Amino acid sequence: MKALVIDDSRVMRRIIGAILTDVGFEVIEAGDGQEALMRLEQHPDVRLCCIDWNMPVMNGYEFIVATRKRPEYRDITLMMITTEGEQEQIVRALAAGAHEYVIKPFTADVIVDKLGYLGLLDAEVHA
Amino acid sequence: MDAMDEIVREFVVESYENLDQLDSDLVALESEVGSRALLSSVFRTIHTIKGTSGFLGFGALEAVTHVGESLLAELRDGKREMTQRTTDVLLTMVDCVREILRSIEATGAEGDLDTTAVVASIQAVLDGEEAPAAPAPAVTPAEALAVEPETAADPEPAPAPAAVTPVLPAKPAEQAPAPAPVAAVQPAASSEPAPRDLDEAPVRSATESSIRVDVEVLDALMRHVGELVLARNAMTSIAADIDDPALVHATQRLALIATELQQGVMKTRMQPIDNVWSKVPRMVRDISASLGRQVRLDMIGKETELDRGVLEAIKDPLTHLIRNAIDHGIESPEQRVAAGKPEQGVLTLRAFHQGGQVVIEIADDGKGIDPQAIAAKAVERGLRTSSEVADLAPQDVFQLLFLPGFSTAEKVTHVSGRGVGMDVVKTKVDAIGGVVDVQSTVGVGTTWRLRIPLTLAIMPALTVECASETYAIPQINLLELLAIDDKQSGVEYVGEAPVFRLRGRLLPLVDLRDVLGREPRESLVGAVIAVMHADGGRFGLLVDQVRNTEEIVAKPISAAIKGIGLYAGATLLGDGSVTLILDIPAVARRALELQETAADDRTAVVTDSGETEQMLIVSVGEDRQVAMPMGAVTRLERFPLEILERVSGSLVMQYRERITPVVDLAQILGLGTTFREELAVVVCQRGDRTVALVADEVVDIVECATDERSEVSGYGLLGSIIVRGRVTELLDLEATVRDVDARFYDAQDAELVGAGSEH
Repeated sequence: MKALVIDDSRVMRRIIGAILTDVGFEVIEAGDGQEALMRLEQHPDVRLCCIDWNMPVMNGYEFIVATRKRPEYRDITLMMITTEGEQEQIVRALAAGAHEYVIKPFTADVIVDKLGYLGLLDAEVHA
Repeated sequence: MDAMDEIVREFVVESYENLDQLDSDLVALESEVGSRALLSSVFRTIHTIKGTSGFLGFGALEAVTHVGESLLAELRDGKREMTQRTTDVLLTMVDCVREILRSIEATGAEGDLDTTAVVASIQAVLDGEEAPAAPAPAVTPAEALAVEPETAADPEPAPAPAAVTPVLPAKPAEQAPAPAPVAAVQPAASSEPAPRDLDEAPVRSATESSIRVDVEVLDALMRHVGELVLARNAMTSIAADIDDPALVHATQRLALIATELQQGVMKTRMQPIDNVWSKVPRMVRDISASLGRQVRLDMIGKETELDRGVLEAIKDPLTHLIRNAIDHGIESPEQRVAAGKPEQGVLTLRAFHQGGQVVIEIADDGKGIDPQAIAAKAVERGLRTSSEVADLAPQDVFQLLFLPGFSTAEKVTHVSGRGVGMDVVKTKVDAIGGVVDVQSTVGVGTTWRLRIPLTLAIMPALTVECASETYAIPQINLLELLAIDDKQSGVEYVGEAPVFRLRGRLLPLVDLRDVLGREPRESLVGAVIAVMHADGGRFGLLVDQVRNTEEIVAKPISAAIKGIGLYAGATLLGDGSVTLILDIPAVARRALELQETAADDRTAVVTDSGETEQMLIVSVGEDRQVAMPMGAVTRLERFPLEILERVSGSLVMQYRERITPVVDLAQILGLGTTFREELAVVVCQRGDRTVALVADEVVDIVECATDERSEVSGYGLLGSIIVRGRVTELLDLEATVRDVDARFYDAQDAELVGAGSEH
């Protein structure tokens, strides 16, 4: 399964990417929302997007809104990754169509749990 | 664990990159108050560092960036105005973050840096406390500013763990190549003065089309390409000897591929100059704040690319020139207002490519450099004698600035003038085969110009032969090549020193054989003049013949050979022979010494010249020519028409800071005054008296017998002679000069001789 990690920090993309790779995802990266939309065109089989809120060019919220306008992306799970100071934004993101959110700093377990809850984990790998 | 270490390293590298951007963003914010694009970019950087440091367990870093982030959030949302103090605390925060990052990089841990003061100072601003009410935070930023310029300008930290720092911290700065394309785009956005809003795509975007490569890999690659180029040169030379069509064909293909590979590898090593410039806004801000100057910084050509080796090498000279421009160039606001200039000075950095070189200019609109002050200083320091400086043209006077031990600072400040002078700048620029010169007008400003080769590793060179040895001359110094024909046309002698008349201008000739102490040349016929450019001047280098142009790879030479002071390095030529690369600026300096001796000889030659005399021929008006004895002429100059002034009916000009009487040759010939835009000025000097004669063009210098003249004469004329088939009027120089300066010939010959023998 493919996952798209959208974050403007290379380090964060790497951290999140490492966690996702461990649980069996093939990880694609994008540095902002605009680039992420481009990546989605190239990889229509992406099943999961992990989205940072604060990014240049197109932020996470705008990305969610843009994705939700496209019926062909209906099956993609959108997971917001935010910091504790952005509660208000979590609500907005969920309203715009995000499925789940994770608050920074998080541990690998938190992500894995959420993914399991969303039904995105391959049973064997997880076990 | 390994993966974690790598993530931490990546984190440090990424954060450094972001902080460089942030520094310039913060400074830009002061002039572009409330730009949401800039604020968002700054906020995002701190936000990212905060988020990531939380992950990696860097508590202190998180604490500092957390308060910073809160302050930035308020600024971004317009709840707070950007003030000088806000900028100060934010910059202090950035310094603190850098400090912690350095520690993380060196030791893997945050270290025991005390961040409470920084956190408190930001908190104080957040709480809306006025500066006086919170003494501690108010002091911190001020202190930081007073001491900062040193460290801010110098990315290699001096204080931190000594053993590790010199190696490690250099890394992140060097590892920046990957984001280069991004960096090249974003400055355009951030230098735009127009206010922008959030919607406009601002800064930074990670691209997956670029990868990060260790610079050492690139360096190794470049070395190998250098060797390949040499191998190709050897191959080409062998193929030319054997003359086998198949071999020639294969060699040509090899040559083509090698060239493309070389260009490709060079491209990977190119970085925009902005990688160095991005630190400048902060530096300028700090320096001008601590010196009480107001400076606006304009940077043009940020995207200009040059080799990272070159980029490294110009960092220090550039820093020094910028400090110098603010410290000694731009005046204090009060002085500026008094001089009728705007309070705010302008410092302009400009970079562009020109003829296979990179030109970097550092220009200020400050008080300029006073040639007289420079000359006086050089005499005072014992670097030159007063008679030496009196002979120098303004442009040559500026070259004195680059002498070791020269510093014009009237008082030593902590910003510049601590014994490290322009000579260091020159040494460093020379070391990379570059050229530095300066132009300045008193009261208007100063421009320093660096001309630097695109890359250090491989350089185009001209191979020449001199006394059956081959030498390489870097193309960067070469302007053009001229061959001397059978009649030696264009070659003239000033005393015994040969000069060449190149498009109306006299070019001093330097014989490479003399410089190298080889057997003297029997005849100039067939020799080649390589017109060189070095140290802000031109000269012609006489060589036996020109062999080829070749791409050469400079190899270091032993200290013993370097000590000779004429060679910049050695290289391997296509035929496998080892060849020395001439250090043209050094040759020029040595040539200058030779020229001075030549000037000594001149007086002797003039006094005992016999029946024939060297005559200077100038043209006046449409078709008239005037001749005068060359021996009486001290100098030939070109000046714009504006230099002439009229004082109570007489023409004068300011020449070398003196009011000099002017003879208009057109009037002597009765032609009336019809000056061109540019004047040819013949300067006659005797002792301390000077007279200038104005003509349209210098035509020639000829050897002629003056007794073959016709007696047709007029006032100020001795008669006429035939020069190259044209009637030329012979000037009665003495009468003409006496007419404008009656005491000219009272200045005794003794003084002239005395001045000469001082050399």
